[in-house]
Amino acid sequence: MRIVVCVKTNYDLQMVRVKGREPVLEALPYKVGDLEKNALEAALQLREGGLECTIVALTVAEANAKVKETMKEALALAADEAVVVNDPALAATDQAALAAAIAKAIEHTGGADLVLFGEGSTDNYSGLVGSRVAELLGLPQIGYARSIAVADGAVTVERSMDDMIETLQAPLPAAVTVVSEINEPRVATLMNIMKAGKKPLTELSLADLGLDAGAAAPQKAVLSNLAEEQDRKHIIIEGDAATAAAGLVDALVKEGVLGR
Amino acid sequence: MEKVDVIVVGGGLAGLSAAYGLAQAGLEVMVLERGDYPGAKNVTGGRLYTSVVRDLYPELWEGAPFERAVTREAISMLADGRMATFEIAAEEFGGRRPQSFTVVRAKLDQYLAERTGEAGGMVIPKMKVDALLTEGGSEASGAGGGPGASGADGGPGASGRVIGIRAGEDEIGADVVVVAEGVLGLLSSEAGLRERPAAADTALGYKEVIELPASVIEDRWHLNPGEGAAQLFMGSVTKGMMGGAFLYTNRESISLGIVVGMEQLRSRPDELESWQLLDELKTSPAVAPLIKGGEVIEYSAHAVAEGGIAKVPRLLGDGYVMVGDAAGLSLNALITVRGMDFAIASGYHAAQAIAAAKAAGDTSAAGLAGYERALRESFVLKDLQTAAKVPALLENQRLFTHYPEAVTKLMADIFTIGPGPTEKLSKTGFGGVRRSFLNLATAKDALSFRKI
Amino acid sequence: MADILVYSDKPQVARELAFKGREFAAELGLGLSAAALGPESAAAAADLGGHGADRVFVSDDAALEGLPTDVVAEALAQIAQEAGAEYVLLGSTRRGKELAGRLAQKLGAGAVTDVNAMAVKDGALVGWRYALGGATVAEERIDTPVKLFAVMPKTFEVGAPQAGAGEVVTPALSLSPSRVTVGGRTPREGESVDLAAAPLILGVGRGFAKREDLDLGRELAAALGAELACTKSLADFEWLPEDRIVGLSGAKTKPDLYLSVGVSGQVQHTVGISQAKIIAAVNTDKEAPIFQLADYGIVGDLYQVVPALMEKLKSL
Ligand SMILES: Cc1cc2nc3c(=O)[nH]c(=O)nc-3n(C[C@H](O)[C@H](O)[C@H](O)COP(=O)(O)OP(=O)(O)OC[C@H]3O[C@@H](n4cnc5c(N)ncnc54)[C@H](O)[C@@H]3O)c2cc1C
Ligand SMILES: Cc1cc2nc3c(=O)[nH]c(=O)nc-3n(C[C@H](O)[C@H](O)[C@H](O)COP(=O)(O)OP(=O)(O)OC[C@H]3O[C@@H](n4cnc5c(N)ncnc54)[C@H](O)[C@@H]3O)c2cc1C
Ligand SMILES: Cc1cc2nc3c(=O)[nH]c(=O)nc-3n(C[C@H](O)[C@H](O)[C@H](O)COP(=O)(O)OP(=O)(O)OC[C@H]3O[C@@H](n4cnc5c(N)ncnc54)[C@H](O)[C@@H]3O)c2cc1C
Repeated sequence: MRIVVCVKTNYDLQMVRVKGREPVLEALPYKVGDLEKNALEAALQLREGGLECTIVALTVAEANAKVKETMKEALALAADEAVVVNDPALAATDQAALAAAIAKAIEHTGGADLVLFGEGSTDNYSGLVGSRVAELLGLPQIGYARSIAVADGAVTVERSMDDMIETLQAPLPAAVTVVSEINEPRVATLMNIMKAGKKPLTELSLADLGLDAGAAAPQKAVLSNLAEEQDRKHIIIEGDAATAAAGLVDALVKEGVLGR
Repeated sequence: MEKVDVIVVGGGLAGLSAAYGLAQAGLEVMVLERGDYPGAKNVTGGRLYTSVVRDLYPELWEGAPFERAVTREAISMLADGRMATFEIAAEEFGGRRPQSFTVVRAKLDQYLAERTGEAGGMVIPKMKVDALLTEGGSEASGAGGGPGASGADGGPGASGRVIGIRAGEDEIGADVVVVAEGVLGLLSSEAGLRERPAAADTALGYKEVIELPASVIEDRWHLNPGEGAAQLFMGSVTKGMMGGAFLYTNRESISLGIVVGMEQLRSRPDELESWQLLDELKTSPAVAPLIKGGEVIEYSAHAVAEGGIAKVPRLLGDGYVMVGDAAGLSLNALITVRGMDFAIASGYHAAQAIAAAKAAGDTSAAGLAGYERALRESFVLKDLQTAAKVPALLENQRLFTHYPEAVTKLMADIFTIGPGPTEKLSKTGFGGVRRSFLNLATAKDALSFRKI
Repeated sequence: MADILVYSDKPQVARELAFKGREFAAELGLGLSAAALGPESAAAAADLGGHGADRVFVSDDAALEGLPTDVVAEALAQIAQEAGAEYVLLGSTRRGKELAGRLAQKLGAGAVTDVNAMAVKDGALVGWRYALGGATVAEERIDTPVKLFAVMPKTFEVGAPQAGAGEVVTPALSLSPSRVTVGGRTPREGESVDLAAAPLILGVGRGFAKREDLDLGRELAAALGAELACTKSLADFEWLPEDRIVGLSGAKTKPDLYLSVGVSGQVQHTVGISQAKIIAAVNTDKEAPIFQLADYGIVGDLYQVVPALMEKLKSL
């Protein structure tokens, strides 16, 4: 059985600096998305639970030089092989085009019995990609999984909704998105990181998938993207616990937010 | 214990340079760097002398993310609210093969890491090494000997053979461990491969990166696009302590920092901190206009080794080599602070020697001895040897008090038109020169200067 | 005539969309349609008509039982077609977001989810949402013929209903049953808090080493008269319920004081506190990002600082 885990490699958001109100996105390090680590861990746990499977990590990126390096993290964590769709035409794309590329890449590289996603990406968090891919591939889908079991050609998912916990079942092949509470992703061991460098990684362009650059055209326009203005005082109150605590309370009283 | 060919501890320039060469030689190499990414934790002033490393990895420097080629050099002396600046712009500094570039470590180290990855090496960030493992099953624990006092004399390592590392739960073996952990040498001193640097041999660096548009930088320092300036400040900036401040122009930022002797700083009664010295410099009338409108986007503090060649430990032993700052390979010679070029060159020579040792099947101290030979023949140990007297010279307080005072006073006198009758230039100028520069103390200084 | 079509399985969210949708429709010269699906659709229809829909498309097709995402998407796609919808507004709940991708794909529509503000600009609807994990706010316009926005609950207010309005339409839908079957449903229990309205909030994070230690947080909250809130990590551990989460996937708060204890301040969390008047933080790590957003900070161990804070608060 083939499990494809869709992984977005994104900026390390902790490193994003705001200049004026514009985010500065140059020279930032990349990371495998947080929820995708949960999805990789979920796949690994299915295997450890006895499911015979090949785990494929799949990403789509905009001819990003760091993406292959970043995908080694996915290979070290769980995946047996990686597929990287890397194409400059994807530089200003959106979820529809990404989903199209993901769906084509899955078809192109041996299909999937189970496609795993994060419920949302770490940065943009739209939650659209998983659903779009499911529709494109005609797969039943279950979002927000907090546990996954595979047996007898079906996936059974306990999922976490706003107001309830649901248990759902779908026949394979199926698409599932996971929430962060599903597991605590383990940290890759050094040897696994080392071995990751030697695992197979297939790089594809849109043309390889039979898509032209037009397929990457966005359906949306971002009219502005600015940080909210923040004007904070940044006062560190020094001293031992008692002194600092007293200082803080005094300051908050003076601000008029305590002791009214 | 699982095993690889080579483990490099520390992904700074020294470690990455070694790893790049090793990966190119086809060895299985793993770089462990505790920072979030290579370059994240690395502090440098900001100028790399490429003149000396250009031929080592020629293909590497073509696309390297250098900031600006330094074509203008200046030294400013500060005292009593005066600043006298000596500046030189020379065509030979720039041109097609500039002698030095300003660099930003976050970019340069990541670039090297990427090239290393492409060459087949594995650079693993966010991975702190907790110990070097030595023969006999124990973690290296300072058993036996100490570092060679005369330094760089080869011979076997201080303790048993280094056989690998421990990081968290993981223990991994290696034929050779490249110790590239930087100036503090915590792991290597713990393992008995060297001593911890003493405060007297250490200075404290504090640096800020201040963002300014490229056009503003080019206007303020009179630069053509792509060209950069380096400026050093001595005198009241360190309040008489050993050290000075530096300023380098990057593409769209400047690096402004200060280096002061750790022991002198610590022994002050007023608990002065290095960042306070930099703050004073930044707000001084001479420097404030240079950085006006700039935003501080980064600040960092880091130690600088000042011990010179006398404090270089044994460079290699059974199963390990030491490179870069971890081996004390840096030079603070007042006008030039060098370390990055030594880091790159030592990494390069370590890689060549390890590859040869692996090919010969002997990774003992004897098998790795080619590393030290190569360093002796290269500029690294030669330049350190040449500068052997510098550390003692730097202890001369007059450098940081008397001379800046005298020079600035002299210049000010020359340019002063007071309310009374103006003295003849020859009298002000030369009288000042005689009083300040021709006396017994300065004559002694002149002698010691000649030795460097 | 082109329409705005609104739908949410949550009656209150559907009302919000209808009420605001009415205003947008008037501004854009469009009609307003609503969809009410599933067994309770008839009652919902009257309600939505009262809240501004010109037409309410109603279906209780058996395949809609339990509102499975694939079938709802198919039903809405057919309704959107029949209504000639130019805009589709959904609720950005978990169910709504899951639906959004599937429906957008069927409609060839561009989609924006987690919208927290909308307006008409140059003759088109635009939406605002957080981007870069909450570090920025992006304003997005959709350029496809059909446009889909999923709007966060409580983004729009609901006015008083008007009686009698709204034509009920029963479309002829062709639906096949879902391939997803339901094994069980357990409502989440527990009290619910409205962090968005709280004037004082104590936010706790993984700095608390053990579940029991949260009692320390509860005591401090009580001493402050503050509502207790948490990072997503603590909710993932099930130490506190999900409605206590502050941040991108939780509440966006605007208290007078947000005091955070043992919270690192990742952007996905701080997006929920950036509107606070005063932010104070206690963290052992002086480099923790929370201090970049704080007005007041103590670099210290919460196990010492929190008792000291309670001691000091006694004197107030
Ligand atoms: C202001 C702004 C500017 C942007 N600029 C760009 C840009 O220049 N270039 C660009 O590429 N994007 C850009 N985007 C982001 C882009 O629109 C989306 O991030 C991207 O389409 C993925 O959607 P998402 O992040 O919402 O993913 P979601 O739908 O939230 O992701 C859910 C899951 O889908 C999977 N997934 C998502 N993306 C990928 C992927 N790329 N590969 C494999 N699996 C994936 C993962 O499993 C993920 O957990 C921008 C967004 C904004 C708001
Ligand atoms: C303020 C200042 C100004 C300077 N100016 C200049 C200049 O202008 N020109 C110049 O050439 N030189 C300059 N230097 C010197 C130069 O920066 C150093 O010599 C050079 O950085 C040494 O490189 P390195 O790779 O040996 O060490 P580092 O760059 O310090 O790298 C060591 C690496 O090891 C990592 N590490 C340490 N311990 C561990 C562990 N246990 N596990 C994993 N990783 C670990 C660290 O995170 C670090 O990345 C300056 C230094 C300072 C402090
Ligand atoms: C798509 C997505 C959406 C997300 N949405 C949210 C969201 O809505 N809300 C949210 O909160 N998170 C959200 N997250 C998670 C977020 O990225 C962080 O992982 C989370 O906020 C971290 O929680 P924390 O601060 O409790 O834990 P940590 O990051 O582990 O921080 C713990 C802090 O406690 C400090 N500490 C430790 N011991 C002590 C002590 N004794 N005294 C004082 N301080 C101590 C540490 O220094 C550290 O800074 C989201 C993530 C993703 C990917």
